[in-house]
This record gives sequence, structure tokens and C-alpha cells, in this order.
Amino acid sequence: MQLREATPEERLQFYKEEWNKRDLPDFILHTLSLREFGFDLDGTGPSHRYNQFMTVEQLADFLRNKAPYAAYASVALYEQPSMRKGWLKSELVFDVDAKDLPLKSCSCVGGAVCEQCLNEARQVAIQFAETMRSDLDLHNINFVFSGRGFHIRVTDESVMAFEQAERAQLVEYITGCVIPTDVTITLGYSRVFRGRVARTFERLDEQRLLQVHGMRNALAQQLVKERERVLTAIRAGRLSDLENYNGMGPKTFRNLLEFFIRLNSEFTDGKVTIDTKRILRLPSSLHSGVSMKCMLVRDMERFSIEEAAPKFVRERMQ
Amino acid sequence: MIGPEYAAALDPFTREAKELVRKSPPLDKMPQKITDLAVERVKWRSGRDMVVNFDIEAVRADIFSFYLTCQAIAAVSYPYSRESRLVSDATRETIKYRMYDLFKRGYEELCLEVVQRSFKFLQLERDDGAKLGNVEIPREDYFRLRDRRLAEDGVEIVDDRVLVQYIPKYAVRWTDLALLLKHRRVELTKLYLVNGWAVITPRELWDLFAGFISVKTEEYIASVYERFSDTGAPSKLLTDIGERIVSLLPPEIGLRERFARVPPGRLRPEFFPPCVKKALAGVGSGARNYAVTVLLTSFLSYARVSPSGRAVSRMADFIGDISVVRNEIAPLIFESAERCNPPLFKDQPQEKANIFYHLGFGMVLEPRLEDSGKSKWYRTPNCNKIAIATPALCDPDEFCKKIKNPLTYYYRQLAEHSRLRAGD
Repeated sequence: MQLREATPEERLQFYKEEWNKRDLPDFILHTLSLREFGFDLDGTGPSHRYNQFMTVEQLADFLRNKAPYAAYASVALYEQPSMRKGWLKSELVFDVDAKDLPLKSCSCVGGAVCEQCLNEARQVAIQFAETMRSDLDLHNINFVFSGRGFHIRVTDESVMAFEQAERAQLVEYITGCVIPTDVTITLGYSRVFRGRVARTFERLDEQRLLQVHGMRNALAQQLVKERERVLTAIRAGRLSDLENYNGMGPKTFRNLLEFFIRLNSEFTDGKVTIDTKRILRLPSSLHSGVSMKCMLVRDMERFSIEEAAPKFVRERMQ
Repeated sequence: MIGPEYAAALDPFTREAKELVRKSPPLDKMPQKITDLAVERVKWRSGRDMVVNFDIEAVRADIFSFYLTCQAIAAVSYPYSRESRLVSDATRETIKYRMYDLFKRGYEELCLEVVQRSFKFLQLERDDGAKLGNVEIPREDYFRLRDRRLAEDGVEIVDDRVLVQYIPKYAVRWTDLALLLKHRRVELTKLYLVNGWAVITPRELWDLFAGFISVKTEEYIASVYERFSDTGAPSKLLTDIGERIVSLLPPEIGLRERFARVPPGRLRPEFFPPCVKKALAGVGSGARNYAVTVLLTSFLSYARVSPSGRAVSRMADFIGDISVVRNEIAPLIFESAERCNPPLFKDQPQEKANIFYHLGFGMVLEPRLEDSGKSKWYRTPNCNKIAIATPALCDPDEFCKKIKNPLTYYYRQLAEHSRLRAGD
């Protein structure tokens, strides 16, 4: 599917003929009047901020009249959204952007994305949500396809009052970017860490491994050649097995672990998670940069980006 | 017989404690014994000093002295300073010892009753395998958690009495630990989380609860500090007690601080926190007033004059020459205002006088030393306030994790730099 920019006419067609208030997720619809809305009217950036809509009809009128290049709503709820004052609480958000994945199997560069890297971003989002459910007992987890990746938007009351510091700790936990004191513990963070390191190692090639300070060619080749054996050791918490490889001194081993955690941390943009006043692309709106609908995803396992293609794109393809 | 008010000895923020405080004598009638205890309690080292007898008078003395200590520190220092930390650390050690002592003497239930007011918790049943929700905790994890904690405490040889403190016995909801996570007294990645429960040992329960009370103590000191900032100078009794507590700071810390703080003079921009550096570089229209008038004005003046550890109300108490303000502090602030987009004074020329107002000279454009004290010398806002007011300014680096006020960032950076240089 070709992901090209939408024209002003296509935007107008989308908002006049296709946009429907029923596509707004409940978690936004029920708190609409408490959110700040922002718009990028002409593709120059979301500079039209501090908007408040008391009803969904007001929002609908605005979208149909202006056909904005992009529409956003705050993750925060405010007493006075139009002044961004009286912060009440914020969704917990993880942004998994396909274009920013540190490891991907496609050859997309710059801001480009394809179905393959979008699929990889989808898998990462599923993993993150699984940890939130099993370890943190969070259950109001919403997935939104953003156009270039996925937003995980958590609306459990128990985390919505969290400030930046608590959210920063959640980023560390969910991404697996801290080395645990005991990697062999069966459950809890040690399990998360092993899973994340295994996922990262699975996608590493020799060239990337050579970026580890002190890593020699022969060792990188051997690790890649014996990928399955290494993965088994990581998943079983026997990281020390890696130290037994020829040429893997304690320093290189340490550097390798630090390389893993750096890559782990790059699977999501932590700044988005800790920013309690962020505006995020509005589900139901058009991502004009790629001509895709930003939409709530009800079934992540079966989601295909074709579901997010607006009518004008489907017509274009025919 | 233990009365219900004994809960206050474990948690000075319980309703029982508040009820006792409500009936406390006024400050000027506070018995000497209590004011002395307010100073003494920060230097308790022995468990015998920390333990509170089960009689109401002992609990009253403990609670009155606790609140006096906190208010006295707020009167002479600022939130999250080393002086505040001295009090919160002492409180943590005291509560931890009291919990340990009560467990040892068979009053575990009493402790748990107080703990469960703040943390929802479960007692794990070990014999038939503990389950949290639908997940069974593997037996080997019990031993690994025990060994990890023993290793962290550096304990090698243990008897049965000690060992039991290291075996997982409870589970608390991780979201109840939010205050500890916020202040990084707990690291989420170090918790053993299953289905939203953190599995912990008795020792960890004492640590977590004592840490929780310690953080609440720091927040209480911050709230009193803000109240004093709004309502004017605190009473002499409080500043006297505060000065006595400050004089108790361990000499090695005092030495380090002196290294860092003196001479109050040349500013070292390389040690400024990221938010101040951003504000100095000039910011956009939404953040200008806060960045310049609130943050830079207070930060640069306090950092330059360095009045910490003493009751602060007027700048003239710390400088002898107005040129410090006119030629050093004000130009830095004004230049940053010019760098804003659009420049701050272009459309808000009145902000120039407002800056001097925030420095304590009233609404003037040409401040004189004798004007000092005409308005309040505003203190540097805490990080959480900055993050809420202007998120664009807050781009924390690693060092920011250790502090809660931009001034503390600066002082600590200076202190570490001095220490490293001394090491050279």
C-alpha cells in the first residue's frame, strides 16, 4: 500500500463523507470536554492549541469545516482545558512508532514506514501490553493505530494520577532497560528483562553487534551463528553462558548488556510516556502525512493496516 | 494496654496524630522538654531512644516534638535541602526501628494495622504455595528473593530469628507505592511484581513503610515552607530550634557543603540544571513569564547569594552592595528575557519591575539596598511545580533523578565538583 500525503481535497472529502463520531473511542468521548484539542491546519505543525469542545457535535463541526491536516487531543484531563489549567489526571501512554524502531527487518529509512515495520511495531505494542496486564494488573489498555505506529493508552484509575517520575519508572520496567540484580528469578521484572533482551538479540545482525565496544568480528559471527543457543541461554536467565564465548571478556560482556538495554529503551519514546500534558493524534482523525486513519484497534492480533485506509485511498488503489 | 493513639508513634500523619496535635499547647507554651526533644530526635542513634512507651504522654511528646522539628526546619531551610533530608532520614530510621522492635516483641498485628491504612496488603501463605491471582509463586523465587535481600544487606551468617525477616511474607499493591516511586525511594524494576502485587519480606515492609513516612515528612516540610513563604516570617521559637538542628549536621557534610557554597559569588553556569539552561537560552511565548520571572529570577538570585541554612527573608541580610543585583543577577535575567520569542519586554515591559518585585525590592526599576524586603523574595519552585507549570522546560537528565529542586541540583553539582577536585 502506498503511503503518500493527502491533498487538501482528500482531507475535505474524508471529514465531510467518512469521519464519524462513532469512531471516537469511549475513553475520549466520555471525557471530551475535559481535554485540550490541538490542530495542525495546514501541515506546518500543531500550532492551533488550547481548544475545548463541550460536545462531540462542536468537534464534528470544526473537523468538517476546517478539514485539518492533523487533529490531536490531550492525554490529560483538565478543569480548564482551554487554558491547560487544573490538571486532573492523564492517561498512561506508550508510543511505539514504526519509523523509530531501533531494529527492523525492512529497509525503510527516514520517516518512511511499510507494512513490515508496522507489523513489528504491533508486536512490540502487544508485548508491552502483556507485561502491563500480567505484572502490573492494568486492564483498561487501548491500542490506537497512529498512522506510523501504535499508541498504547492506559486509562486505569490507579495510574492516571501518576506524575513524571512514576511514569519514568514504568518506562524502565516495560522496556526492560535496567539490568536486574538477579536475572534468574522466574517471575517479575527479571522475566520482562529476559524477554526484552531475547527479542532484541533475535533481530541483531553481525553489523549491529560490532557496534558493541570491544566486540570482535569472530565473536559477533559466532553469536549470530549460534543464535538459537544464545537465545535459549538468555530466556533461561543463563546470561553467564555468554561470558564463556571465546573473546568475550568481562568488559565486552558488560558492554553487550549495556548495548541491549540501550536498544530496549528505544522501542518506545519515553518522553511521550512521561509527558503528562502531551497531545496525541486523535483516534478517528486522518494522518494526512501517510493518508491513513488514526483509529482504535479492537483486535491487535488480527489488525491489518488496510483497515486504516480511508475511502479515498481505497478508491485510489482501484 | 495499648491505646489507639499509639498508631501515631508509627505514623505521625494518622488521624490519631492529627487529633493529638489539634489539642497541643500553643508554641509559646510548649514545654522545654518537648522543644529539646525536637532537636534531640534528629540525632538519635540508639534504638532505646527511638522506642516510644505505650503511655499516652510518651506518644504526645513524640508527636509534638516531631511536628516542631519539621516546622523548625521549614523555618530555616528550603524543601528537600540537606537540612530537610536530615530530618526525613532520621524519621525513616526511627520508624523502621520501631517497627522492628514491635515485631520482635510480638506486636506484629499492631504494625500491620497501621500499615494497611496506607498500603493494601496480603499475608502470603507459604506451606501450600502462595498464589497471587491465578499465578503461583515458584518456591525457588522465594529463596532467590531471600538471598538477594541478604546479599543487599551484606548479611552472611544468619540465625533463624534473623532469617525469618528475609523470607517473603507479604504482598502490597504496587500502585500504593506511588509516593515512593515518585521520589525514587523504590525502584519498580527491583520489585517482584505479580498481578499487581509486590511480594516483600518483613524487612522490606519496614523499609517501605518507614520510607513512605519519610517522604511524607519531606512533603510536610515543603508544605510548611510554602505556608511560611505566603504568610511571612515564622516564629522565633521555630527559627531557634531550626538553627539548633542545623548545627547538628554531621561535620563531614558541613565541610562538603561549605566547599560547595563558598564563596557565594561567581555563578557556575556549567552546573545549572537543564531547566535553567533552557530558560537562559530563551523560550517561546507560552513559557516566557514562568521561565524568566519565576524560575530564573529566584534561581539565579539564590544561587548567587547562597543563603541556605539560615532564615531567609531579605536579600540585604546577605549582600552588602546592590551592584550584585544590578550588575550581576539582573543582566542575566534581562538578557534571557530578550532571547525569548517574542522578547518578553517587547510586549510586557511591566515584567521588568515584576522581576525586582520577585527579588524582594517591590515594584521598582532601579532597586536600592534599602528597598530589600519591600516584597517577598520568592524562592525557587520545586521540580514538580516547574514540570506542571511549563513542561517544555523540564527535560531531566540523570542527575535530576536525585533532586527535587533546581537549587539542590546546582549545590550538589558544585559539591561533587569540589569533591572531585579535592580528590585530584
